[in-house]
Amino acid sequence: MKHEVDQGVLRAYLDGELDSERFSAVEQHLHNCSVCSVEVSTLRNHAACVRDGLDRLPGLPDADTSTRVWAAFQKKRDERMDSEQNRWALWQKLSLAGGCLGVAAAALVLTVAPVRAWAENLLAIFRVERFTILEINPAALKTEGLQNNQLLNQTIGRVLSDEITVIQSPQKPQLIANAATASKVAGFPVQLLLGQTPSSLLLESGMGMNMKLDRDRIQSILDEAGRSDLRIPASVDGAIIGVRVPAGVMAFYGNCGDVASRMIGQAGVSAGTKNPSASAEHSVVVHVGGANKSVSEAGVDVSVNQARHANSVNAGETPGQEADATCISLFEIPSPIVSAPQEIDPAQIAQVALQFLGMSANDAANFTQTVDWTSTLVLPVVRGESKYEQVYVKGNEGALLRAANQNQSGHFSLMWVDNGIVFALNGTGDDTAAVNLASQLQ
Amino acid sequence: MSDRWIEAEFEAIFREHYQRIVRVIRRVLQRDSEAEEVCAEVFLRLYRSGPGVAAGGLIGGWLYRTATRASIDAFRADRRRGVEEQVDGSHAEDFTDSPLTLLLRRESIVEVREVLAKLKVEKTQLLLLRHSGLSYKEIAEALQLSVNSVGQKLARAEAEFSALYERQQRQNRKAPQLQAAKEGQ
Repeated sequence: MKHEVDQGVLRAYLDGELDSERFSAVEQHLHNCSVCSVEVSTLRNHAACVRDGLDRLPGLPDADTSTRVWAAFQKKRDERMDSEQNRWALWQKLSLAGGCLGVAAAALVLTVAPVRAWAENLLAIFRVERFTILEINPAALKTEGLQNNQLLNQTIGRVLSDEITVIQSPQKPQLIANAATASKVAGFPVQLLLGQTPSSLLLESGMGMNMKLDRDRIQSILDEAGRSDLRIPASVDGAIIGVRVPAGVMAFYGNCGDVASRMIGQAGVSAGTKNPSASAEHSVVVHVGGANKSVSEAGVDVSVNQARHANSVNAGETPGQEADATCISLFEIPSPIVSAPQEIDPAQIAQVALQFLGMSANDAANFTQTVDWTSTLVLPVVRGESKYEQVYVKGNEGALLRAANQNQSGHFSLMWVDNGIVFALNGTGDDTAAVNLASQLQ
Repeated sequence: MSDRWIEAEFEAIFREHYQRIVRVIRRVLQRDSEAEEVCAEVFLRLYRSGPGVAAGGLIGGWLYRTATRASIDAFRADRRRGVEEQVDGSHAEDFTDSPLTLLLRRESIVEVREVLAKLKVEKTQLLLLRHSGLSYKEIAEALQLSVNSVGQKLARAEAEFSALYERQQRQNRKAPQLQAAKEGQ
């Protein structure tokens, strides 16, 4: 006999969360169903066990401290706002859009932290389980002397080319017939939009690289960028950072122009060689919805891989056929894994990177304390140039990004992590449409 | 809607929610001061986000979601840094308790937090919010779930917590016995 009363209903019954009609129906059912009676008893025991456990955790005393706390909060908030305001005024004239600045910030983050830019310009730290948005104040980024600074560019290029060894080189993306084949080849269960057939389905090969950190050389980038005040921790010197990016799958729906065929036409980098030019020309600036401003300036894709392709789609950079508003692109990949020696404290390094991105030392220290750096992928977005919203996709926290000059119906990029797989969905529509679309993945 | 808060409006929200939010955070974190710090960061984020942040729902839900997430992250960061669990001595009853009582209490707190840290974040959030007295509707709003799915998800989270918690307690009971047996040999 099919059970009309499932576990969730029984649990709601125990909590008095059913309306009177359903409550009576469940009660009636329990009189006649020994299976459900046992289930209710189990649920009750589990709930009691949780109550027993959580009751042991401390609460705060009940004294009403709100006046004291409100005053303290006001003080802290005003101090924080003041310091940001001052930096805004000082650096207002500076712009973040300069390409070489993007490379500089990107290379710095890549080099000082065990990170790698991933498709859509994400920074992977260890293993990605969730995203956190970090809003960068462009006015606070000390960009004077960075733009068109050839010496800085050269320094970054040299550090990257000397210190990075490609272990597994990325190959050309390949067309795949269907989800079953994609899952088999990529090695994870590929999800696609329910009831829709992709116009193209591509496999992006994996890549692997090792990077040896040289403290003095990294410090020289900071010095060159005018940030000698920031010091790279001694523990990074000589550390080998390993990066493994698994194979991923990209699906296009609707009219995406000729982006898939252009991707297939791109070449990879030879394996086992030093990467001689992983600098400016491999830099990534993510464009959202055709806006020519970077959403996140921090990213260098040394694999010359997914991000560039994804970007061309997003940007609508169409030397060939143009994509239109029906175009949806979906990228999915098991979390990249970054390994680093235990002596390296990611929070300490992140503090340096955050200060470089314009945070005060205090704010950077506070922010690093609230982030689990082993599992959180930080998405830096530039204040004023992009809008972001925290959303939930099938219960997983996600980040929904748009260019600031776009309305709700414009282009979106939605990123989330589900069960170890990182997803990025790009399309056109309002927030609800974006989340609904993402929920259709199966 | 303006993208800036009216001060009186924000203060009213702060005063209405602060105690409840800091209490949820304190369950996860080890010190009053740390809980207050994280709570202040949560309200600061609300302030910066502007009144539009909860346009599609209620401010309380946004605060609970953000606070549970922030506290779980901060707790995990503490664990990695090896910050020792300690029972905050600022509460009146602590002065009257014996060192043994304090030690046992500390161990049981560690046990519970270790179990919470092993669960997926959403499950921990569900348990914390339900235990804080939120209704299914409020939990659904906070975690952006459908109300009808809360019962099922809660049941699963409780089952997993119970299994892990009981296993942890068994292990902890076994450890001293093994030690004693070794010493007796």
